[in-house]
Amino acid sequence: MSIQDYHIAKELVYILIGVFSVLTICSIAFSLMHKRNPSDSNKELVLRTRSWWFIALGLCLVILAPPIFGTILIAYISFVALREMFSISGMRESDRVAMFVAYFAIPIQYYLAYKMYFTQFLAFIPLGMFMLISFVLVMGGNTAKIGRSMPLIPTLLMLTTYMLSHIVLLFNVEVSDFEVGAGGLIFYLVAITSFNDVFQFVWGKALGKRKILPTVSPNKTWAGFVGGVLTTAVFSYCIRFLTPLADWEALVTGLILGVMGFFGDSLVSAVKRDLQLKDTDDLIPGHGGAMDRLDSILITAPVFFHLLTFFT
Amino acid sequence: MKGLFLRIFYFLIVRPILTLIIGVRFRNRGIMKGINQFIMVGNHNSHFDSVALMAALPGKMLMNTHMVAANDYFGKSSRSKFFMNLFFNSILIRRQREEGAPSAIGVLDEYLKQGKSLILFPEGTRGEPGMISDFKKGVAILLQRNPQIPFIPVYLNGFGRVLPKDTFLIIPLVCKIRFGQPRHPGPHDIDTILEMVKEDILSLKHEDEKDRNQFRFE
Repeated sequence: MSIQDYHIAKELVYILIGVFSVLTICSIAFSLMHKRNPSDSNKELVLRTRSWWFIALGLCLVILAPPIFGTILIAYISFVALREMFSISGMRESDRVAMFVAYFAIPIQYYLAYKMYFTQFLAFIPLGMFMLISFVLVMGGNTAKIGRSMPLIPTLLMLTTYMLSHIVLLFNVEVSDFEVGAGGLIFYLVAITSFNDVFQFVWGKALGKRKILPTVSPNKTWAGFVGGVLTTAVFSYCIRFLTPLADWEALVTGLILGVMGFFGDSLVSAVKRDLQLKDTDDLIPGHGGAMDRLDSILITAPVFFHLLTFFT
Repeated sequence: MKGLFLRIFYFLIVRPILTLIIGVRFRNRGIMKGINQFIMVGNHNSHFDSVALMAALPGKMLMNTHMVAANDYFGKSSRSKFFMNLFFNSILIRRQREEGAPSAIGVLDEYLKQGKSLILFPEGTRGEPGMISDFKKGVAILLQRNPQIPFIPVYLNGFGRVLPKDTFLIIPLVCKIRFGQPRHPGPHDIDTILEMVKEDILSLKHEDEKDRNQFRFE
């Protein structure tokens, strides 16, 4: 499986039909609910479902269209997330050139991922941009609070771009005897990550008592965490036909991705708490900003890629 | 012909760049529906303010709306004059009164009498980001002389970060334009009208800060 032999697997078609049927049912049900009882929570549900339509359509583009379209879309999502983080992080006026350089790193990083220059892909941001951004900041000459900008800008670039660009690597994964292809891998990653959030939320609502991170995210409980991760592992086992993973490998991957999803979610929550924000932006109605939605997948994407290459 | 050019330019080029690349968010843009003539007043931090306000206008208003700009800054070269006129329908006025020259207020009043709309920044110059400095009285005089024309208050947040004074490097950062309700100031004296305009912009600023997502600029 590589970029050259691009095809659409029948498993993907079935599963996408399933996704869109569920979305259609949700849309109709929620708008009926909203019509009968126009309350804020019902409106939120309608908005959220509408946003999920856009997310599902974007996912369709990524897994069905030729890889170049998905690569461009994911690169743009990285850009939006980075712009969002720069906007809320209180950057200095003298960081402007460094921010410009950071934006420029996005197309380069995705080009390296798309062309599968793997060594350069791994080194470009952690080594190259880390040094270049520090250098640009030093050349700017303003040393007041430079100790904050110097680690912050590369870290935001790592989070929003380096981590997310691992999804594009999945287009290039070579696995023998695996027919579903990159679309299946990406769908698996997105499904596991989103449903992990949902499972943790539902278990927390149902059984949650003891808080797991009271100072970071008061809504997260031990029951939500453990229940969510275990359910994610089972879910991963159920949809393992989308991946080349064997039975127990799928279970382990599900467990690890569940923990990582929790970690990503808490990471963004901690940053928001520090900045005293509820959401990172109001870009996606009902969801908040791009980073509010991407929080878990930022961490699960590279972990999944490395687990996959380790197992196969 | 120029109207068509401006429509294509602002709708197909400027607005997609502003929303998709720069990250401009328009709030309550709907209030401009059904208004034929107005004086739009906003706080001023960046040259980008003018571009974003023009891009926010409904297509049919583009030709009849004029940006009020300073002659001593934009009238320096004929090229600058040409582009200001082409993209902003700009009226270049003198900030300092000169002997014998027509007064700036008189020129703007003439435009309003012809049914044109104006965009102006009563601070007179680009101020510090997030601060609103004292307003010049011109806008209040115009509103007093033309009681049939409403003013539309606008609060622009974050443009001073995208393109600050004294630089040409544009950085994409989320920024917001918030429109307020159009308002007829009614028969009052100039100071009261000026206070009214300023209060409306400040209340938009307040509303913006209450927004559930607050941008942080140092």
